[in-house]
Amino acid sequence: MRGFNKYFAMAKASLEVIFVYRAGFTVNLIGSVFYVVAMFYLWQTIFLGKPGALGVFTWPEMKAYLIVAFILNSTMTWFDEWQMGADIREGRVATDLARPIDFQLKRFAEASGPIPFELASALAIGAVVAFVFGGIALPADPAHLALFIVSAALATLLKFSIIYCVSMTAFWTTGMEGVSNARMAVQNIFSGALIPLVFFPDWLRGLASVLPFQGMISTPALTYLGAMDGPTTAFMIGTQAVWALGLFLFGRLLWRSAVKAVTINGG
Amino acid sequence: MSSMPLIEARGLTKKFRQAVKEPGLVGSLKHFFTRQYRDKMAVDHIDLSVEAGESVAYLGPNGAGKSTTIKMLTGILVPTEGSLIVDGLVPYEKRQQNARNIGVVFGQRTTLWWDIPVIESFNLARDMYEIPVKRYKQNLAEFTELLGLAEFMNVPAGKVSLGQRMRADLCMALLHDPKMLYLDEPTIGLDIAVKDSIRKFIRRLVDERGTTVMLTTHDLGDIEDICNRIVIIDSGRIIHDGDLGALKDNYARDRVIHFQLARPPESMAAICAGLPACETTSDDGLRLSVRFDRFQYAAGEIAAAVMPHVEVIDFHIDEPEVEDLIRKVYLGQLSLTAPESTAEATESAVATGA
Ligand SMILES: Nc1ncnc2c1ncn2[C@@H]1O[C@H](COP(=O)(O)OP(=O)(O)O)[C@@H](O)[C@H]1O
Ligand SMILES: [Mg+2]
Repeated sequence: MRGFNKYFAMAKASLEVIFVYRAGFTVNLIGSVFYVVAMFYLWQTIFLGKPGALGVFTWPEMKAYLIVAFILNSTMTWFDEWQMGADIREGRVATDLARPIDFQLKRFAEASGPIPFELASALAIGAVVAFVFGGIALPADPAHLALFIVSAALATLLKFSIIYCVSMTAFWTTGMEGVSNARMAVQNIFSGALIPLVFFPDWLRGLASVLPFQGMISTPALTYLGAMDGPTTAFMIGTQAVWALGLFLFGRLLWRSAVKAVTINGG
Repeated sequence: MSSMPLIEARGLTKKFRQAVKEPGLVGSLKHFFTRQYRDKMAVDHIDLSVEAGESVAYLGPNGAGKSTTIKMLTGILVPTEGSLIVDGLVPYEKRQQNARNIGVVFGQRTTLWWDIPVIESFNLARDMYEIPVKRYKQNLAEFTELLGLAEFMNVPAGKVSLGQRMRADLCMALLHDPKMLYLDEPTIGLDIAVKDSIRKFIRRLVDERGTTVMLTTHDLGDIEDICNRIVIIDSGRIIHDGDLGALKDNYARDRVIHFQLARPPESMAAICAGLPACETTSDDGLRLSVRFDRFQYAAGEIAAAVMPHVEVIDFHIDEPEVEDLIRKVYLGQLSLTAPESTAEATESAVATGA
């Protein structure tokens, strides 16, 4: 894999940038702690009102769901439409075009670089929060844990692919902040980050099931809990993989045609 | 391959589609519905071939099409028309392959990573271009020395001065031993001392490594120090292409020879009579200047014609300033496409006495 050395090096460099901006990173982290604690209290209130189980989840399972969602949300926090949009609009991508590198792989490397650090911080915080709230459900079967790791990796690739595709709108619009917020809102609802999809009314759940976002939180979280039977788990992870890779390739196509349009016609 | 020029462009053209838009929100709204565009010929059918080892100054006023040309040559932009081959490749088709053969420096924009120490950007270049470690170390040591990079090697690019950044950018562009170096306004905004060191460095690169250099600039000082060929572009068209000597020959035929005299000349008229078609002036009586067409006279002939009439203590010849020449071209005072004919020059020349 000699050709991938360069991407590994770029990933390492972007991890280093996290440390340069450690103040910003810490603020983000503290914000996310408040968020997860608030979620815990909110759901605790709901569950205490309905002793036993609410629908399909027990309270320890719901706590596990929230922690898994928190950890999945903690990765690739430095990759967003806003930054990519600025690079595109201000022509900084020209520099990358004059280099022997693949633009998308470079972006993927840069988005992935901070993951070890993001993951370590999120796991530490998650463990403390889980402990304070009296522990969470652990996977019943080591196979669930193994499948969960696969699913979590696909969720991260999916997140990259979605943001990358959405970023391409920068070639046609200047309002990247609005675009980014819209993506985030849709994602928060349909990924199951705010409310597990099982609590949705049928029609909304139906809509979520044909969108890619469920693969970002719901699928890995349910895999962790072993809440789906074998064939369903296989199908859901397969769906996740198809979306993640499909959108990754679609992003390549978008970039290629957008760059062509811009370098052929001018901005 | 070796017989082919490194860069071969034929009829190279870039037409941009620019939105026709009135200012403000109303203008934007109007544009949204009417979608009016106008074509802008940024580069208009230029022919250019550059041999390996040449150093070319690519000059022209703002908006002439210099950067657009460079972007096509580097593979960043796709030409609208024409053919282009750089080192056997079509740059925009084989973008990554072409990128390995070239170094690019944009004066207005850094290629260094903003947030991490300069040295780490260099290390990234090593990985991106897959430079053999030994070669990398050699080059890094040499460039660090020549460009004086040591003092800010561990400072992030975002925190160094513009002059330091430019020097680091130059190093960044050269670590992988590119055959071809493109510099788009490399000295813009720099102070004289930094400009000077950068020019010396590039000159050395051309002389010692045989790197082919193409440089766009506003700064005429860059030219004489670095380049042996000058291409001038205006409104997307090449209006001059030749070596510096040719530019001087064609457009600066006049030379002025100044004599320092022991005594005021007895008869200016006699001197002038011996030098028809020259402009002879003597301001304070002890200095005598003769402006002559150097295709008509050799400097020695002028001296020979003057000597019998006066006693000369000292003399010197003014060389034409390139800056003056090019400024004249930009100002339209000099037409490069039709140099003045000798006949005309002779006719208009006058001999005057003081
Ligand atoms: N991306 C673009 N879209 C539309 N017009 C452009 C674009 N880039 C350059 N131009 C136009 O092309 C012309 C040449 O620009 P450029 O090559 O940057 O000039 P120079 O570098 O000589 O100053 C200018 O009129 C400029 O406005
Ligand atoms: Mg320019």
